[in-house]
Amino acid sequence: MRTRATALVVLLLLLAGCTAPDHRDGPVTLRFQSLAWQQESVTATKDLVKEWNTTHPDVKIEYVQGSWDSVHDQLLTAFEGGEAPDIIHDASDDLADFAHGGYLADLTALLPARLKAGIPRGTWDTATFDNRVYGVPFLQEPRVLIADSARLRAAKVRIPTPEHPWSWPEFREVTRALSGPGRYGVAWPLKEPVSATLNLSLSAGGHLFHRGADGKVTVRFTEADAVVPRTIHDQVTVDHSAPSATLGSGGSDTLPGLFGGRYAMVPLGFSYRQQVAQQAPEGFRWQVLPAPAGADGLTQGVSPQTLSVSADCPHKEEAARFLDFLLRPRNMVRLALGDWMLPTGTEALKDPALHTAEDGWATGTALAGRLRPAPAQSVRGYAEWKDNVATPAYQEYYSGAIGLTELRERLEKDGNLVLARYQR
Amino acid sequence: MRARRTARAGQYAALLGYLLFLAFPLLWLLSTALKPPRELGSLHPTWIPRHPTLANVREAFAEQPLAHAALNSLLVALATAVVAVLIATPAAYALARRRTRLTRAATGWVVVSQAFPFVLVIIPLFLVLKNLRLIDSLAGLVLVYTVWALPFALWMLTGHVRSVPAELEEAAAVDGAGRLRTLVSVTAPLLAPGIAATALFAFVTAWNEFFFALVLLKSPGKQTLPVVLTHFIGAEGMADLGPLAAAAFLATLPSVAVFALVQRRITSGLLAGAVKS
Amino acid sequence: MTAVAEAPPARPGARGPARRQGAGPGAWFLVLPALVPVLVLSVGPLLYGILLAFTDAQSGRTTATRWIGALNFRDLLHDTLFWESFRIGLVWAAGVTVPQFLLALGLALLLDQDLRLRGFARALAIVPWAMPEVVVGIMWRLVYHPDVGVLNETLRDLGLGGGRDWLSGLATALPAVIVVGVWAGLPQTTVALLAGLQNVPRELHEAAAVDGAGAWRRFRAVTWPTLRPVALAITALNLIWNLNSFALVYVLTSGGPGGRTRLPMLFAYEEAFRYGQFGYAAAMGCVLVAVVAVLLAVFLAGRLRGGAET
Repeated sequence: MRTRATALVVLLLLLAGCTAPDHRDGPVTLRFQSLAWQQESVTATKDLVKEWNTTHPDVKIEYVQGSWDSVHDQLLTAFEGGEAPDIIHDASDDLADFAHGGYLADLTALLPARLKAGIPRGTWDTATFDNRVYGVPFLQEPRVLIADSARLRAAKVRIPTPEHPWSWPEFREVTRALSGPGRYGVAWPLKEPVSATLNLSLSAGGHLFHRGADGKVTVRFTEADAVVPRTIHDQVTVDHSAPSATLGSGGSDTLPGLFGGRYAMVPLGFSYRQQVAQQAPEGFRWQVLPAPAGADGLTQGVSPQTLSVSADCPHKEEAARFLDFLLRPRNMVRLALGDWMLPTGTEALKDPALHTAEDGWATGTALAGRLRPAPAQSVRGYAEWKDNVATPAYQEYYSGAIGLTELRERLEKDGNLVLARYQR
Repeated sequence: MRARRTARAGQYAALLGYLLFLAFPLLWLLSTALKPPRELGSLHPTWIPRHPTLANVREAFAEQPLAHAALNSLLVALATAVVAVLIATPAAYALARRRTRLTRAATGWVVVSQAFPFVLVIIPLFLVLKNLRLIDSLAGLVLVYTVWALPFALWMLTGHVRSVPAELEEAAAVDGAGRLRTLVSVTAPLLAPGIAATALFAFVTAWNEFFFALVLLKSPGKQTLPVVLTHFIGAEGMADLGPLAAAAFLATLPSVAVFALVQRRITSGLLAGAVKS
Repeated sequence: MTAVAEAPPARPGARGPARRQGAGPGAWFLVLPALVPVLVLSVGPLLYGILLAFTDAQSGRTTATRWIGALNFRDLLHDTLFWESFRIGLVWAAGVTVPQFLLALGLALLLDQDLRLRGFARALAIVPWAMPEVVVGIMWRLVYHPDVGVLNETLRDLGLGGGRDWLSGLATALPAVIVVGVWAGLPQTTVALLAGLQNVPRELHEAAAVDGAGAWRRFRAVTWPTLRPVALAITALNLIWNLNSFALVYVLTSGGPGGRTRLPMLFAYEEAFRYGQFGYAAAMGCVLVAVVAVLLAVFLAGRLRGGAET
């Protein structure tokens, strides 16, 4: 962007007067753009900011509400224009590009030892690129099955637990048993088919992206990568135990069908429980089941929510101190409960509130140890591979328009062409 | 007479069809806004809520600063409409009455500029505004919206100017009226429908615009309505449907109200009288 | 200035003393207030955007940008995905613009009639326009919802079968989003045409009616010639806007299923904002501008002819 900047100087000299540097006297003010969405978590975050502001008169935090829907575009523009918020809430899969672009501060030296030790090594990996830490992963959610208890009982299927989950073939059997005319064992909301498939495929040992000896990443679609896609494909097109109509739906779109008895189970992010609890009709009993397990057990990929500091922030140490405050185990629990998600901190995870059977908290918490960084989120060119190659390929495969051979061919052949362009 | 009456009936039927097609989402929004969460999850939704409630409206106002955002939006939209009309009308007049290569190039440019992906314009635009100290200011937003509305304004108004017979102005000139007076007292009134349509366009565009408002405004106190509306939408398209519908329904009303007021102007039929005199 | 003060080129449209009077240097003062903001906030950023097309500009401050000549355009030539999306874009633009114009014309003519509750009907007719785009997208997702959508519900009630997945079906997705596009753009076109209809001299209409001319003849002979400049302007703008729009489709389908609704602008947007390839995206923008310029030239030619006729 350097020549961009110089090219602009000409334009700007024509247009505007000089910019006087900002003089900041008195307390430091930091803008914190939060993406907290559920009402409880907005309240929890705002309360914590207030608490900080009353105890730290020298560093004032200004709460700014952002939105998941538009955060990427907004941040990219703000970064390019040099007007980004100081403290940034985002998700690890969105972070890679900003980190590569040099917009985020390396937090390695800024974060206190307590915070570093409190979050498992594997979780840090989700926000670590080129050995630098660009964000603190603080909330995450496994994908779980939200199930209609009455349907499961009526079909007399074995109820899986984190200790004894269903295998993928068993899952397919169960959904077949749960299906009938106008009723389906499962509904797959696959508006984003790639991340869902890849994250679940880790359970079968499918990593899809492989780093060669030369350090370059290529796509290789192995038998392990085919387990999850084949199950979904067969449920939709062979067994008809899953409807094709929801393949383009978002998670929320499937809830009426779940409540109305059309679908017995829906694979959803853990936080969707809030919507289920809020919208389920009186008398509807539901439970949370672990996603099916494969050769690698219950392992699955996640992209945690993160907190980062802008590279342009003039007061990085103060920002890091605020992060440390915000993410103390007690506070992390408050944020997690507010968003119906899991905290990443080991201390926070021990909180009794996260181990109750109510609303399926215990089931999700039991899965926390099995969460791994989502595959390929740090691979350069992943976004383009996903949009241009993988999304259409998976969509066509799941709807039955193409077979497994063509899926493999497109993911590998077309996919590696895209990746090669980024790794020249 | 009978043929006349059936024709009329046909017209009403067609109009009804149009209105059903165009306005049903507003009714659906209203219906959604009045439903409690449990009813929103129902597999067989009804047009009339079974248990109507105003809880969504209350929640919408409690969760987000809607009233304040609406005020910001209103301010920006009104200012945009006024400024756009004030600068576009004379320009359109000149462009319509003078057909040189230059004016045609200007007209063409204005339109071609609309074809370039605005996502590529937004970053340089951001930098320009930053240097003009117009980031995070409603005035900056008005400026951007005005420029954004100009192509439509210019094209529409040029079309309208062209359909005002130059003979009228000539007649006024013969009567000894100065050029400016001719413009203000003869031409401008004849342009009223076009000006009203243009003002409405600028108003609605500014009222609805999302992306510029998102990236140009930083302070929470300055955000406009569309930006605040997205706060009801969470990750993966999860939406707080009830409050969102309530807020969106209310956000739709001002534009409809403005149009209800302006529509008489758009169809005032001043021209007919003017030609006669 | 002198260039402007020169006598206007002799063409049939330019005549009469008022014309010449309006041609004075004063014309510049009329244009200036519009020109300055356009130059600063539109032309400047735009030229900059076009220059980008000849660089390898990427998002981020870690890599320096270089001039690479026409390399982006060469790459683009071989980018089959882009040309496929280009084809979809043309189908979309034509599929939206044409029905939009015809339906809007019908509605504008109706609203121009002396019907009861006219003001009320006019206000209701602009509802789609009055809704923020995000809301429109969410509304229509609900309408097309496979389980609880109004559309499937209605079809089921009518006994036409149900359970169609409009937005995720490979065959139905594009038509489904086109309907939304027509719906969303209808009011704007209607209002523009309605305003244009006010320029039609009533006397001529009445005279033609007295002469016994049918509705169609009256429309052809009286209404259309006056409406023509406005109609052409709004259609040209609609075509451009439609070619350039993607926000609606983005909310509805994100370009899926299988890339069936991937409009070129959506493509350029993703290239720039998702993959950070500003240079390449700018090249796409330039191609789109070129196409629009050609389409526009055709329209302008039509417009000038229209001007000569009046």
